[in-house]
Amino acid sequence: MQRVGVIGCGAIAAVHLDGWRRMPGIELVGYYDLKPEASARAAQRYGGRAFPSAEELFAAVDVVDICTPGTAHKENVLAAAAAGKSIICEKPMARHYADAVAMVETCERAGVPLFPAQVVRFFPMYARVKERIDAGAIGKPAVYRSARNGSFPRPGRDFSAAHYADFNLSGGVILDVAVHDIDFARWCCGEVERVFARGLTFAGKEFQDHALITLRFASGAIGHIEVSWAHPRGNFRTRVEVAGDGGLVEWDSQDRPALVYELYDEAHGFRRQGSSPTADVDEPYYAELAHFIDVIEGRAAPVVTARDGLEAVRVALAAIESMRTGKVIAMQEFGG
Amino acid sequence: MSNPLVRIGFLGIAHMHAVSYAHSLLAMPGVEVVGMWDRTDKLAAEWSERIGVARFDSADDLLAAGLDAVVVCSENAYHRPLVEQTAGRVRAILCEKPISTSVADAQVMIDRCAATNTRLQIAFPVRFAPSVIELKRQLDAGLLGDILTVNCTNHGSMPGGWFIDAELAGGGAVLDHTVHVIDVLRWFWGAEVAEVYAEVGDSLLHPGLGIDDAGLLSFTLSNGVYGTLDTSWSRPPSYTIWGDVKLEILGERGVVYADTLHQYVAVASNAAGKTQWAGFGSDMDRGLMADFVEMVRTGRAPSITGEDGLRAMQVALAAYESAKIGQPVKIA
Repeated sequence: MQRVGVIGCGAIAAVHLDGWRRMPGIELVGYYDLKPEASARAAQRYGGRAFPSAEELFAAVDVVDICTPGTAHKENVLAAAAAGKSIICEKPMARHYADAVAMVETCERAGVPLFPAQVVRFFPMYARVKERIDAGAIGKPAVYRSARNGSFPRPGRDFSAAHYADFNLSGGVILDVAVHDIDFARWCCGEVERVFARGLTFAGKEFQDHALITLRFASGAIGHIEVSWAHPRGNFRTRVEVAGDGGLVEWDSQDRPALVYELYDEAHGFRRQGSSPTADVDEPYYAELAHFIDVIEGRAAPVVTARDGLEAVRVALAAIESMRTGKVIAMQEFGG
Repeated sequence: MSNPLVRIGFLGIAHMHAVSYAHSLLAMPGVEVVGMWDRTDKLAAEWSERIGVARFDSADDLLAAGLDAVVVCSENAYHRPLVEQTAGRVRAILCEKPISTSVADAQVMIDRCAATNTRLQIAFPVRFAPSVIELKRQLDAGLLGDILTVNCTNHGSMPGGWFIDAELAGGGAVLDHTVHVIDVLRWFWGAEVAEVYAEVGDSLLHPGLGIDDAGLLSFTLSNGVYGTLDTSWSRPPSYTIWGDVKLEILGERGVVYADTLHQYVAVASNAAGKTQWAGFGSDMDRGLMADFVEMVRTGRAPSITGEDGLRAMQVALAAYESAKIGQPVKIA
């Protein structure tokens, strides 16, 4: 049995809580949020209690799940580590590299596990891509391509607009979104050697951001990542392909889903809806959190480590630096 | 909170589904896979070694080890003797589809289990595909309105081995691939197939095969829905995937195209010499096994009964009869 407490009760916390509350062997103890009404709402909806401080929550749990904005990760991770807790931390691990380094090193010194929530590794189609590569189906990976394209995160909502549109808080689309693909690309192709990026982060466009990132890996492989907060609202598209010297593996969220409904009525006209259902235990966020518990309880070796989360942040910051300066960034010399 | 351990044995593993059933059970907390037996020594030895399940010298030895439940994955013709032998000595039996090769045999199995208070479940994993579960929920909610018709396929690759031996399998593609889809349609609507007409192809796709490898069933259901089902082993070795389970359901308000297992990454591999689809969908066999274990543990009624298995098999047998006489056949 693991007693779990959640710090930060925003949008991603709700996704985690939907997982925690149906996971066997978990006691959802409670919540802390800077806004007491947010933690009170979580307690009402998911059970457990709203704590008046993070410290009091730490004292009552085994596992701390940090779902705050990236800028607040460090203080919470350091405090939870000092309290000797197992820690799950949402991505990106931190807004600044030095903060992420401090988090990782503090947890290593304290001997507490720090799990970065790089959830893409737990999406079944991405996991299958990796499994096929490991099985040798495509030979040695040579050209990696992926995309993660949607619209700006809910401008107009009080939190999102202020947070995501402020580069100093969010790091823009590269740190918030590309950190997923950078981590997955590293999982498939190994360490990144250099980065070049173009995009809109510094173009002064309100509620639009976009980047095209070009990578060279130490293995010699090359990679391309597109991330967007500038695509038309209403569709979120992801795709990935990895070509090797012996084959190619690919997936696109716009592939036909298992279920396609075509409906007509006078009120709505023609509608086409797709759906690709998954069993509850395979839902990626649930699978991710359940995996972290398996590691804590000694049933599994970690699929992703704090060092992976750290390096994903460093490569993302290098891509931002490249976009800002127009220069190629060599990872060996880049200190965030 | 720990659940009582459920002890399960495999009687017959000639059906390839036994592999994934065993893997699901081995990964499940609170389940012990006690052992396995198969009438073919070489197959039993190889399977026991590969899966890591102890091999027993006879079905009786395995049953004497004290089991809560048995999974029967033998050749179809051996379902009846194995179920007869097992009934009364365990609390529950999971029998691979089709339930048997004749109505008489299936009825004996059902009666024997009822008489010995043994729960009999038939293995129809498609009911546990998340897409099929969602589809049933949408149909129950009336998304499509009144249903008019269904156009279905359960294509496969020619499996070879005992599947093409009429004595052991009881039939070819029509028996093998009628039952999954018919079971799902019966489950959706609580309706029975009333009449079936069939065109069956013997050795049509695989000259010299010696058994039916293609089939088209045209049927009516007791709720007024009519439909067709293609059961053919028509996916060649050069194709991307072993087969499919597709249901296109037309209602008064719309249509659903359900390609129920279509969750794939495409993998072109020079080593394989072709492009293949590698599935990432949730494992329906795991769902089937979890349901079965829960049934064993709680003592509730099976979610898929022997009667369900019999009804689905009857449709396949009626299709063969129809092909023989060249006329539609009514099912009592």
